[in-house]
Amino acid sequence: MGSDKFRQILGLVLLASLACANYSCTVSASNEEFFGSTTPPSRNIFRYVTGDEPESLDPAISNGQPEARLYMALFEGLVEYSPKTLKPEPALAERWRVNSDSSEYTFHLRTTGRWSNGDPIDANDFVYTFRRNLSKATASRNAYLMAYIKYAQAYNQQQVFVRDPKTGEFLLARDLDADFPPEPLSSSPIDPAKNEYPPDPKDTSPQLDSAFHQLMHTATRLTLPGDQKSRNERLEANAKLKAAVAGKEFVPVKAEDIGVEAPDKYTVRISLVQPAPFFLGLLAHQVFRVVPRKTVEQFGTKWALAEHIVSCGPFKVKMWKPYDQLVLERDPMYWDAAHVGLDELYFYPVLDNSTVMNMYKVGELDAMFNHAVPNAWLHIMRSKKDYMERAEAAIDFLIINTTKPPLDNPKVRRAFNASIDKVAYAEWRRIVKPLTAFTPEGIFPGYEQPKGAAFNPAEARKLLGEAGYPVIQNSDGSFSCPTFPVDQVEFIYNSQQANKAVVEWMQAQWKQNLGITVGLRNMEWKTFLEAKEKLDFKGFARGSWGADYMDPFTFLSLFYTGGESGTGWQDPKYVTMLDEANRTLDPKQRFHLLAKAEEYLIENQPIIPLDSPSVNWMKKPYVKGMYPNPGSLYPWKYVYIERDRAKWDYGTPSLDAE
Amino acid sequence: MLRFIVRRLLITIPTILVVISITWVLIKLAPGNFYSGEKPLPPAIEKNIREKYGLDKPWYQQYGKTMWGIVRLDFGTSLKYQGQSVNTIIKRSLPVSAAVGILAYLLALVVGVTAGSIAALKQNTKWDYGSMALAMLGISIPNFVLGPILVLVFSLTLYWLPPSRWEGFPSWNLVLPVLTLSAIYMAYIARLTRAGMLEVLRSDYIRTARAKGLSERDVVIRHALRGGLMPVISYTGPALAFLLTGTVVVERIFALPGLGNYFIQASLNRDEPLIIGIVAFIAIVLLLMNLLVDIVYAYLDPRVRY
Repeated sequence: MGSDKFRQILGLVLLASLACANYSCTVSASNEEFFGSTTPPSRNIFRYVTGDEPESLDPAISNGQPEARLYMALFEGLVEYSPKTLKPEPALAERWRVNSDSSEYTFHLRTTGRWSNGDPIDANDFVYTFRRNLSKATASRNAYLMAYIKYAQAYNQQQVFVRDPKTGEFLLARDLDADFPPEPLSSSPIDPAKNEYPPDPKDTSPQLDSAFHQLMHTATRLTLPGDQKSRNERLEANAKLKAAVAGKEFVPVKAEDIGVEAPDKYTVRISLVQPAPFFLGLLAHQVFRVVPRKTVEQFGTKWALAEHIVSCGPFKVKMWKPYDQLVLERDPMYWDAAHVGLDELYFYPVLDNSTVMNMYKVGELDAMFNHAVPNAWLHIMRSKKDYMERAEAAIDFLIINTTKPPLDNPKVRRAFNASIDKVAYAEWRRIVKPLTAFTPEGIFPGYEQPKGAAFNPAEARKLLGEAGYPVIQNSDGSFSCPTFPVDQVEFIYNSQQANKAVVEWMQAQWKQNLGITVGLRNMEWKTFLEAKEKLDFKGFARGSWGADYMDPFTFLSLFYTGGESGTGWQDPKYVTMLDEANRTLDPKQRFHLLAKAEEYLIENQPIIPLDSPSVNWMKKPYVKGMYPNPGSLYPWKYVYIERDRAKWDYGTPSLDAE
Repeated sequence: MLRFIVRRLLITIPTILVVISITWVLIKLAPGNFYSGEKPLPPAIEKNIREKYGLDKPWYQQYGKTMWGIVRLDFGTSLKYQGQSVNTIIKRSLPVSAAVGILAYLLALVVGVTAGSIAALKQNTKWDYGSMALAMLGISIPNFVLGPILVLVFSLTLYWLPPSRWEGFPSWNLVLPVLTLSAIYMAYIARLTRAGMLEVLRSDYIRTARAKGLSERDVVIRHALRGGLMPVISYTGPALAFLLTGTVVVERIFALPGLGNYFIQASLNRDEPLIIGIVAFIAIVLLLMNLLVDIVYAYLDPRVRY
């Protein structure tokens, strides 16, 4: 169904009838301070639309943002996002220590953590959760975020260790892999003389040692694919490896090998395969939120249905009618229940943005999800004091298939980039800021973003000429590029939202500045995704990315393994640069190195950065404790209904710390 | 009559299996997967998912599993909505669609038949022109235009009725979706009734009835209406099947948790078991409704015999 067209028509009809049906009424409406009703709900509840119907209440399953907000109400991890900055703050872990090179993390759990059925939460629940979410049986889409944990990826992919049957010794990665980076502290022998953890006068709890801990602190073992076919391929490609493996036995990587342990009941220690200073921020992600072992094992895939679910967050399930409503109530077992501001949380799954706006206006909703405000309504909503607009930790860009000529030539890619006037584009889109790099601007404090090439059509034409496609100026002042193989390039996009207008805008820019008319091809969403994933397109595709955690690496890592970027571009130099940055202990220096890597990335131009969007949504003035943070994630325990009009929010609440 | 019903029911079974097989092939041909999203998955993770849901098996095993389930009326578990069985989803969303659909059709029937009969009895008067003009309007205005206009007037401007959502049966939330949905059926039924009645009113047995000296009231209600409603009845079968199984646009505008909503989402999500389950269900309902119409035909029209 062409839902965008449908929505356009709908919007037009609404506007037309607004204009003709009751002119005086619309005028008075637009003079109102707020959009529609400002009567708080009679009970202490909060009604929200987080998006479409949730896939599952199991935090390991969905990787969507609508579900992430639900999981934040129902489940907690070691840390939780803080409401304004999304920086990690204590949750089920009340404090933690990080070793000197950010490769090992020790968490001390609070002893008051309880499941909604009253059972205590201890370190073994976390060990179980990490193992379960990495297991093949769970098949979590989010498992890639856990790959920083030692042997986690190997276990998730059912890989094997290689052991010498005579000595019982395992082959080591560093001996057989020329590119293997230096071992982090977490994989080096424990040296009591050196302080592995920087001294902390406030925290004097003893560092617990264990046999497992000693084992983790040995050099990283070699892992090979578990199925024979891929393993043989890998061995055939590397004679040295093949010789080393000959006569050895293969030992499957087990759940117990993953670098997560519970040295005592209330301590969780996580050993990483590499230094990862961003790991703490990542731990607030849904896939790290603790799940109840007993319930999961008893009910299997049905454990997260309303009749079975056991949760551990500030709220628990009261009623769930799929595609209708999900009602959560305050969980008295929650360790911080006294500070939970609401009695009940209502989530309505609503698909249509106009319907969301209608419900909000008549006062059936207290807030709505990010980007629910239709573009055509912006000029009205921006004058309202309950409209939220702030920088978002997300970017929009064009993906280039770099494996096919003529776009396999970086000069051609740069020419296409330099011929788009992004400033004009952003003005036209109204809700975005122009972007020349690959990380959103102003989201990561202290990160000096590199500046990509600015709009420069003359330079673009020159680049194209250098690549062998000279651009000729015609007698009427327009340009043409007769030698450019136009039939080898097209622009694919999905038929959603304002996409068509956006790609036509790009098409016009290229025609005007380069004399090249790129063909457009519209696709249904899943068809588009498949074409993008399989590099089954020539030329350009629309792409966007939102932060998984608040660190530039969440964007830069898109090109870390190659397969996920959809461009086919992969460069060992770039990977080395990122590795080097993450091994750097000084945060300032690390950011500097990351920025260098980003600069290298945009020089190679596997993507054309377009814009960084803004969050745009609305909340009633009486809703407090909810902030337009860059990830649109809200720790629900801070949200409350303010009945005193004097304390209401008149405008966007500040994101600065109080 | 009984033989006719049994024969029709027997034909129904292979028809449904063919419908499902075609659907299954179309799903397999459609690019994309239920798990694909904006962020492409690493191949190893994709492999885990495919193995978990049996998507790595050869096609005949997957087809066989699906068909075996359908024969036992077990449509399996949704891929997208983890742990929820397709049967539960249909059981939960059918009453919503059915309530809105049946109410809308009843309303359409009452208003449509009345308006159509008046138009036929007072042919070429202002009554006729008036009701047929309204009917034309009802047919021409699509429900995705009518719905928002009704919401704008009755919810957003007058604050009389809730703009959307399901609050059970009965509730004020039903008014706008039922009105929106029934408009086009009302218009159709009015036109069908008028045409049917006009034809019947000119037929010989009506003249006979009048000649016997029956009151005009008896002629119209006992004789004319019975024959005049035949076109409406044959229209009722497919219309009711369509209404029962949900209407996408209205359920979307009013955020109703009905079957139509699920059907569209399942297709967009590539949720194979859910698509197949709903297709099979709609096919069954449609075939049963048509059978029911044929039976009612035989009852109403003495000329029809099987």
